[in-house]
Amino acid sequence: MRVVIAEDLALLREGIVALLRENDIDVVAQVDDGPALLRAIAGHRPDLAIVDVRLPPTFRDEGLRAAIEARRRQPKLGVLVLSQYVETAYANELIGENTAGIGYLLKERIGDVRAFLDALQRVAAGGTVLDRQVVTQLLATRDGRADQLSSLTGREREVLELMAEGRSNTAIAESMVVTPGAVEKHITNIFHKLDLSACDDDHRRVLAVLVYLRVAR
Amino acid sequence: MSQHAQRPADLSRHREPTDRRWMPTLAAGLSVGEYIRSVMARLAALIAVVLSAIWALDGQGYFWPAWAWLGLGVPLMLDRTASWAWRRPPGAVRRVSCVWALVSVAAAILVLTWLLTWLLAGVQTFWPAWGLLGLATAGSAYSLFALHDRVLVAHGRRALRARIDLLTHTRRQAVDAQAAELRRIERDLHDGAQARLVALTLQLGRAELRVDQEPELRRLIHDAQREAHRAIAELRDLARGIVPPLLADRGLVAAVESLAARYGLGTAVRSKTHRTLAPAVERTAYFVIAEALTNTAKHASATRSWVQLSAESRALVVVVGDDGRGGADPEGSGLAGLRARVEALDGTLNVLSPAGEGTVLEVDIPCVS
Repeated sequence: MRVVIAEDLALLREGIVALLRENDIDVVAQVDDGPALLRAIAGHRPDLAIVDVRLPPTFRDEGLRAAIEARRRQPKLGVLVLSQYVETAYANELIGENTAGIGYLLKERIGDVRAFLDALQRVAAGGTVLDRQVVTQLLATRDGRADQLSSLTGREREVLELMAEGRSNTAIAESMVVTPGAVEKHITNIFHKLDLSACDDDHRRVLAVLVYLRVAR
Repeated sequence: MSQHAQRPADLSRHREPTDRRWMPTLAAGLSVGEYIRSVMARLAALIAVVLSAIWALDGQGYFWPAWAWLGLGVPLMLDRTASWAWRRPPGAVRRVSCVWALVSVAAAILVLTWLLTWLLAGVQTFWPAWGLLGLATAGSAYSLFALHDRVLVAHGRRALRARIDLLTHTRRQAVDAQAAELRRIERDLHDGAQARLVALTLQLGRAELRVDQEPELRRLIHDAQREAHRAIAELRDLARGIVPPLLADRGLVAAVESLAARYGLGTAVRSKTHRTLAPAVERTAYFVIAEALTNTAKHASATRSWVQLSAESRALVVVVGDDGRGGADPEGSGLAGLRARVEALDGTLNVLSPAGEGTVLEVDIPCVS
């Protein structure tokens, strides 16, 4: 897998590069602003771009805009956007029309290196990975479907959030320290309570949940 | 103001009659007083002419009618100057004008009398000099006495106004500087401390991968990571409380839209603002809207709510409304807090919340560009 990284804080950028190289991922370019990212993508044609939302010169949302532009130019490119905070508006813009190969995670998820590497692989392979906080924020919305959402138990909410990250049943089970069978039961309940048609594919599952939550808004 | 407004009317009342007949009539639209004055003036002129004619027919000699002219002229001068003085604004100015009217009539009598003694009796010395000096001194002394406080007050008012202008300006600068500083702190928290903690968790994560065989060490690293995560989450909440990141990154409209989406109710956001607003104005408007929407969600039992933002040339106008139960207390602690925030920017906050008819909150924050 060939990766481009756009991150302005050298300490963090070098940490990520070291982590990826230790795990046999080819980092073809490291840049620290939006225009450089677009040039690197055009030059190296990577499989995945890891992009910080706030980049120089204004430290607002240049990274996000560069990532969206990069996807417009190369629809097959996987993009994982990292941010210090989660905004559902950003998630919506990033996902846009084309849901394949999109990731939006809080920066601190990098610390859970196994999950992070797993997320990279899934986004590069065309999956969708959303931070569990996106789900939390969407769930926090008070609206007409509040009753349906409030019928979810705490455990089910937790499973829903992990599902949004595109994790498999096994990974969810591991993270929650329960059996895969228990996770399956929770998932069946969630889909039943939210009136969603059940499916096994992790990626489609994320989308079903996301579509539900976005419609709910 | 009212004095200014009255003056044209006063002038028109004292306008000379357009009637060209020698003796005016009441029918020409004059008041009784004016009529009497006109008649008196003309009678005086008539008497002066008749006396002059008697002197001419009487074989001339010493020109005694001049004294009669003087005697007839004094009431006329008094009338003219007094009516001029009476048209001044009431109070000290009018009193001073009356004094000067008397002083000038007295001075005129002195000067004219001397003129006649000089012309008719050949008196050479200018004997009224001391009298005139005395009159001028008395008039000036009275003016100074009557008007000195007025001059001082005007000066004091000007100084006060300049001081208020300066304070308004520096307060706004302080508020703007504070808002800019808060944004800088928010960025520093995210891009400084928080980013470093993220780098730390990454290092810990990499270390964790290498100590697969040592559960004790793994647990220690895991605990350290958990602490770092807590610190990151706390910093994030802190930064959000200082300036919501979307507000810092995309401005007021985007931040309010995101806010509205979070409150269900399908809160409609309409905005007519394409100009850049000062950070202090944006921040205040944001927190007022957030508080208003929270109140709506908590207390109003509304089915509909809306937010309107319009940046006009001199002010940002924010309206937050709902169709809930109304009856909000404008002096309640929540609204008082919002009002204090708005007033710190010289803005105003109005609440309309009749029971059963929803609540509308209107905020007006002046924008200095």
